[in-house]
Amino acid sequence: MKKEIKPPALADCLFKKYCKNAQIEDLHGDVEELFHKNLKTMSTRKAKLHYWIQIISLVFSYAMKRRKQNASNHPFASSSFNPGMIKNYFLIASRSLVKHKFFTVINVVGLAVGMSICLLLIAFFSFISTYDEFHVNKDSIYRVLSITDDKTETKAWSSAPLFLAQLLKDGYSGIDEVVRISAMLGTEVELENRKLPLSGFYVDPNFLQVFTFPLLKGHKERALVRANTLVLTARGSKKLFGDADPMGRIIKLAGSDFEVTGVLENHPKNSHMQFEALASYESLGGRDGSGAELSYKENVREFRNQYVYLQLPPTTDISQLQRYLNEDVARVNDSNDFSISFELQRLTSIATGRSLSNAIGPEWDLASLSGFIVIALLILIPASFNYGNISIAQALKRMKEIGLRKMMGGLQRQIFMQFIIETIIICFVALGLSFYIFTIIRQEFLSMLVSGDAISLELDLPVVLYFILFATVVGVATGFVPAYYFSRLNPIAAMKKTPGKSNSTFSFRKSLTVFQFALSIGFITSVVVIMSQYKKTINYDFGFQRENILDVQLQDIDPNLFRNEFSKLAGVAEISMSSHIMGIEGTAPEHLKYADGSDSLEVFQMFIDDHYLSNLNLELLAGRNFARNDVSEKNIIVNETFLEKNNIENPASLLGKTFMLHDREVELIGVVKNFHYAQLDEPIESFMFRYDERQWRVANLKIASTDIRGTFTDMEELWKPLAGEKKFTAHFFEEEIEDAYSHYFVLLKICGFLGFLAITISCLGLLGMVVLTVESKMKEIGIRKVMGASVSGMIMMLSKDFMKLIVIASCIALPLTYLFFDKVYLRSQHYKIPISAAEILLSVAIILSFGLATILSQTVRAAQANPVDTLRND
Amino acid sequence: MKGFIGEFEELVLLTIASYGDQAYGVVIKEDIEKRADRRISIGALHSTITRLEEKGYIKSWLGEPTEERGGRRKRFFELTQSGKVGLHQMKSLRDDLWKASGANLELAK
Repeated sequence: MKKEIKPPALADCLFKKYCKNAQIEDLHGDVEELFHKNLKTMSTRKAKLHYWIQIISLVFSYAMKRRKQNASNHPFASSSFNPGMIKNYFLIASRSLVKHKFFTVINVVGLAVGMSICLLLIAFFSFISTYDEFHVNKDSIYRVLSITDDKTETKAWSSAPLFLAQLLKDGYSGIDEVVRISAMLGTEVELENRKLPLSGFYVDPNFLQVFTFPLLKGHKERALVRANTLVLTARGSKKLFGDADPMGRIIKLAGSDFEVTGVLENHPKNSHMQFEALASYESLGGRDGSGAELSYKENVREFRNQYVYLQLPPTTDISQLQRYLNEDVARVNDSNDFSISFELQRLTSIATGRSLSNAIGPEWDLASLSGFIVIALLILIPASFNYGNISIAQALKRMKEIGLRKMMGGLQRQIFMQFIIETIIICFVALGLSFYIFTIIRQEFLSMLVSGDAISLELDLPVVLYFILFATVVGVATGFVPAYYFSRLNPIAAMKKTPGKSNSTFSFRKSLTVFQFALSIGFITSVVVIMSQYKKTINYDFGFQRENILDVQLQDIDPNLFRNEFSKLAGVAEISMSSHIMGIEGTAPEHLKYADGSDSLEVFQMFIDDHYLSNLNLELLAGRNFARNDVSEKNIIVNETFLEKNNIENPASLLGKTFMLHDREVELIGVVKNFHYAQLDEPIESFMFRYDERQWRVANLKIASTDIRGTFTDMEELWKPLAGEKKFTAHFFEEEIEDAYSHYFVLLKICGFLGFLAITISCLGLLGMVVLTVESKMKEIGIRKVMGASVSGMIMMLSKDFMKLIVIASCIALPLTYLFFDKVYLRSQHYKIPISAAEILLSVAIILSFGLATILSQTVRAAQANPVDTLRND
Repeated sequence: MKGFIGEFEELVLLTIASYGDQAYGVVIKEDIEKRADRRISIGALHSTITRLEEKGYIKSWLGEPTEERGGRRKRFFELTQSGKVGLHQMKSLRDDLWKASGANLELAK
C-alpha cells in the first residue's frame, strides 16, 4: 500500500502555535479534508501549497480572530486579568523577600545606589525640558543663529549681526515682531556712591510684549521706549533699593544715568535668559556697552553678544524665511575666506538644543549630556545584573514552589508575571532608598554643574510620576532575565531540585563580576590619577616664586599711596604692582607690529611695576628692568618665546629694537626667562611686560614676618583710612593658584562618588555570589575537614575562584584607564605630567582589598565552621 | 429590513439551507465553488460563517471524529428561524424589485 501523504507538518505546527488555546479543531479538520481531496486531483506539491494557502487564509481571517478572543476571555484562560492572582503574587513576593532578608537587603541597596544617579538625571531632564515653556508665545518665537565658516573652523553662534533686525523689519513682510537684545549691559552699577554688580540686557521696547515677563509696576508698552530707562526684576530691585520703591529712581550705569521705569516679577528659573535688569535699547545710542561704536552698517563679522529674536505668525514658512536671510546676507558678505549663514531656532529648543558659541544664558547641548546618561547607565546596569545574578543563583530555594505551581497548571506566563512583579516590588523599595540618596546628593550635584543656579531639582508631579515610571521600567528590565529563567524551568527537574543548565549561567555571572570590578577599578584609578595630577600641578615649577606673597585687590586706591602706607609695615619686605594675577587670569593678546609695519605678532601682556620681577624671582636674561616711575610707558620686557618667534638666538641682540603698538612706538629693554603666565593647559606664547600705573589692580606684598595673623590685622588697620567702606581682600598667591586648579576637585568629587557607587554595587554582587557558593558547599567543606583539610586550605579553595575574577578585571581595566588618561585627558593639558605606575598600583590595591575583605568575610566563617554542625543533619 | 445580509452571506446561507443539517465547511466551500464558479478560501468562508453565527442566522454543533480529517470533528451548521426569516425578507425585496422593473430588464429586444 502506498504510504499515506500527510499535510505539511511545519504549517500544522505554526498554525497550532499561533492559535494556542483557541478552539480550532473543526477549522483544522476542514483544511485537512480539503488537502486529501486535492490530492486526488493534483500533484502532492500543489496540494501542499494549497494547504499552506488555506492555513494562511485562516490565520488572517475574522473567524480566527473571534475564536482567539473567545479563548482569551475564557474563565480558565491564561491571559485573563485576575486581581486575585495579582494579590497572590504580592503576598508570595513579600513573603519570599522577608524570608531571604539578607539577599533582599543586598538587592535593595544595590538597586537603590544604581538608581540614585538616574533619579538625578530624570529630575534634571524633566526640569530642562520645561525651559521657556512659560512664555505665552513660545511657539511663535524664534532666534536667529549664525553659522560662520572662516576656512579653519565652522562655528555656530547663538548671536547674530544686528543689521539683520533692520533688514527683516524693512524687507520681509509677515514678521510680527523683531526684538534686539544686547548682552553688553555693564556689570556694575553705581548708586549713591556704592558699586553693586547687576546683570542684564539692553532690549527693544517690544521685548516685554513678545516674551512673558510680567511687570509688577510700570507700563508694559512704555517702560523701555525712552533712552536711559531701565526696569528691574524684583530681585534686582531688592538688591539695589531694599524694600523701598525703586520707581523713578536714578541709577548710574556704564557712565550714564538711568531712570527706573518698571519692576518685573522675578523670572522663573527655567528661563534661558537670566537677568536682574533690562535697559532700553535706545540708551545704547549707537554705542555698545563698552563704548565702542555700534556697527549698524552691514558688517557680518561683528555680532558678539548681539541677539535677534523674531515673533512670527503661525503660518510663516520657516524655510522660506531662512532662505531669504541667507540670500540677502550672501549679497552683503563680500569676503572670500569667510562665509556666514543663518538659521532659525525655536524658543523652546534653545535650552536643550545644539552647542552654540556666545550663549545668552544657560544652555545644554544634548551631546554633552549623553555622557552623563552613559555614566548613569554604567552604574545602573551592573546593579540590575546583580539582581538577576543573585535571583538565578538562588533559584534552588524556589524550585519546589515553581515546580508545584507548574504541576498545578501554572502557565509560563503566570510564573513570568510573578517574578516580574516581585522585582517591581523590590524596585519600589529601592526607589524609596534611592530617593533618600537623591535628596542628599542633589545640592552637591547642582554645585558641580556649570550653570547649576539655573536648575531646580525640586519635586513636582511630573517628576514623581517619572520616578514611579522609572522604577517600574527598571523592575521589568531587571526582572526579565530571572523571570524568563524561572518560567522555563522543567517542572519535574524543578521538583527534584536539579536545575538544568546552571553552568552556562555561571560563566555569564563570572563575566558580569569581571565587568563590574573593571568599572570600579576604572573609577578608582581616575580618582587616584586626578588627585596626583592636582598635587603635581600645584607643585609644578611655574617659573616664578609664589611663596609668602600676598595679593591685595587695590579696588581703585591710588597704588602709590598704597605703597607708601604699606611699606611702613615691618612684616612687608617688598611691594610690587600688577594688572592681574600671574598664572591664573588670562588676558586677550595684543598685536605688536614691526617698526616698518610689515608683520604683526600676537603677544600676551601684563602691566607691572619695577619691583615685580624681583618680587616674583623672574630672571632677567638680558637688558634691564623698568626704571622707577618709568613714565614714558613705552618700554617692554619680553619672554624667551618672543625671541624664538622672531628667530633670534642671542637675547641681547634684540635690545633697543622698536615695535609699533596701537600706532605708538615701544622699545624692547629686557628679556626674561620663560614662565607660565597662564594655566598649564595653555602653552607659553609670546609675552610682554609693560609699565602703566593706570592698569595696576593688584598689589603683591612679600611677607617677611612669620606672624601672619598680626600682619593681617596691621594691614586691615592701614587699609581703613585709605579705602573707607571697601572690604580688604587679600589672598596668598599660593592659595590662589591652588584655587585656580580647583576644577580638579570637581572631577575628583565626581569620580570619587561614582567610584564609591561602583564599588558598593560590585562588592554587593560579589558578596551575594560568595554567600551562595559558600552555602552550597557547606557539606563539602565539612567532609573535607573531617578528612583532614586545614582551615587555610579551605579558605584558599573557596576564595581562589573569586580572586581570579578580580585579577582578570584589573588586567582589563588598567590598560584601558591608562590609555584613556594618557591619550585623551592629558592631551588636553599642554604641559602634561606623566602618570606613574605607583598611582595605578595604589588603585588596584584599593580594589583588591575591598574585594578580598568581601570574600574573606564569608569564606573564613565557613572554613572555621565545625564539620559536626554541617554534617549532622544528613 | 432589520439585519443586513450581504451577497456572499446570502450565498452561504442558501447553501447551508440546501444541505439541511449536513452542511459543514468543506461541503459549503465546494458547493459554492461549483455553482458560482469562483475560488474561495477557507478563511474567508469561515469568517463569513462566524459573522452569520454572531448575527444569529445559523447555529452550529460538533459532529463525530472522522478518519479523513486526521481524527478531528466536523462542525455542522443549520439555519435558525431568524436566518430563514432574513432570507425570506431578502427574497421578497428582490421579487418586488424584479416585478417593478420587469419590462426594463428584458434581455431580448
